[in-house]
Amino acid sequence: MFEKFRLGKRGENIIFTIFILIYVAYCLNSPDMSFESFKTVITIGLSVGIIYGLVALGISLIYTGLDVVNFSHGEFFMIGAFAGLTMFNVLGNQDWIFNLFPEAYGWIIYVVCLFTAFVSMGLFGVFIERIFLRPLTKKGGGYTVAGMGIIICGFGLSVVLINVAYLIWNPVAKPFPAELGLPMEIGGLFLPITYVWMIFVGLFVAGGLWFFLNKTKMGLGIRAVAFSKDVSNLVGINVPLYISIIFGIACAIAGIGGTLVGPTYQVVVFMGYIILMKAFAAAVVGGFGNLPGAIVGGFTVGIFETASSFYVSGSHKDLYAFLLMIIVLMIKPTGFFGVQVKMKA
Amino acid sequence: MLKVNQLVSGYGTVQILNGANMKVEKQSIVALLGGNGTGKSTILKAASGLIRSWKGTIEFNNEEIQNLPPHEIVARGLVQVTQGKDVFPAMSVTENLRLGGFILKTKQKLKDNLEKVFNYFPRLNERKDQLAATLSGGELQMLCIGRGLMSNPKMIMLDEPSAALAPQIVLDIFKNINRIRKDGLTVLVVEQNVRMALLLADYGYVIKDGVINVEGESKKLMYDESVKESYLGGTKANV
Repeated sequence: MFEKFRLGKRGENIIFTIFILIYVAYCLNSPDMSFESFKTVITIGLSVGIIYGLVALGISLIYTGLDVVNFSHGEFFMIGAFAGLTMFNVLGNQDWIFNLFPEAYGWIIYVVCLFTAFVSMGLFGVFIERIFLRPLTKKGGGYTVAGMGIIICGFGLSVVLINVAYLIWNPVAKPFPAELGLPMEIGGLFLPITYVWMIFVGLFVAGGLWFFLNKTKMGLGIRAVAFSKDVSNLVGINVPLYISIIFGIACAIAGIGGTLVGPTYQVVVFMGYIILMKAFAAAVVGGFGNLPGAIVGGFTVGIFETASSFYVSGSHKDLYAFLLMIIVLMIKPTGFFGVQVKMKA
Repeated sequence: MLKVNQLVSGYGTVQILNGANMKVEKQSIVALLGGNGTGKSTILKAASGLIRSWKGTIEFNNEEIQNLPPHEIVARGLVQVTQGKDVFPAMSVTENLRLGGFILKTKQKLKDNLEKVFNYFPRLNERKDQLAATLSGGELQMLCIGRGLMSNPKMIMLDEPSAALAPQIVLDIFKNINRIRKDGLTVLVVEQNVRMALLLADYGYVIKDGVINVEGESKKLMYDESVKESYLGGTKANV
């Protein structure tokens, strides 16, 4: 009986057009239309977007490698931020570092924090995968078959990790006062230096991952395992080991994302959830399972969200990422880069 | 070289092999024949570690290898080549071949083996930068065999190398299999194309309902009535 009410292609187009007109009208109605504020919006959008992109990268990586969606990925992001903060608190009291590098003191400590988050989250990810996820695959025969169990395990892990972090670090939001220097002037625009760090470190990590996957032997193995576990077995790749490595790398990248966000915002136990959701939207927008798509999707979601909350309404900030996701899904269900390589018949 | 003793195996709870026995001598080509669903591929999968052996043993070079993880079996020199289309379509031909040599330690060995494979299959050399998804059926099969040869195996197990290919290409591939044997490898071929397989092989096994039904020199098997019987309803061994 619902067939009567279906809009059809044309009806959808009309609704889209109306929607976009309303959106543009809202934007034009904004009190601040200067080019300066537009530049600020774009820069903040890029810096937020790269964070979504990094987490989306991890989600996509786990999705291609393990064939499951990891719903506890936001918590790796949060614990990564805490790992960075802990290292920062330890190093912040050391006078000898200050005496050794009086000029570059702040950013050396910050780089060490990023590195700590990367390594510790990588090891933590491998630990979680081996202890909690791997046993689920024993009965079912592989990750694909045990998929639903692992998704539910992911939700459970998310709750457990939040509460463990709550016990260790308590729920008070903590500042991450990294001393990175004065705001930077780019094109007549004064930006907190942490934004610049976010964009550049994020791009560096994404580029590093690209290099690792495409130019190294281990990366070749990871791509093979992501495509087919059976064929990878037959060419002599240690598939269980590589699955752990994939999970570890995804978590390490999320950890770096957490430490990057720390100085700009604050480090809270509950920061993982909303990041996970937005990164999920970013991954869908870019094409689920596509790694460059994850970064592009992150940028798109970040800019759209920042622009919308600046020009339309800031009180519904968390809504725009999902709005964009729905729009992209309606226009191109595979996302921007979701192309399948098909076999010749 | 490869010895299968009373092997029982299957998928999930479905038992396919009911105690299969077979033996592959060094530097020989052995054909494993049988109709659909008789357990030919199951023997290969058990030997290469993709599925578990429930009972019985598989010996390779006088070492029991049943239920070892697949990558360790590859490291011991036993490689399975699956049916045609199991390549990595989004990677180039060279990358596919490099994956075949994944267990090799040095780059020099990888280079040598790549040259060796291109020597067997010059067509792959012509197409080395193309994506594997764009290859034709025959080229895919060559790529699969080439990938198997990349890891310097002692023995190679081919799962239906002639499936869905034109006779001319099948002939070409079988010639190459013969060359591979002459270069010192042992080959086990699983086939449905009985006539071609027996022309190629030295020794043949016919499997039916999960046990070896008939075995013998391939010249004898060609005229064996029971082989024809095993294929009733399928391809007959008419020479």
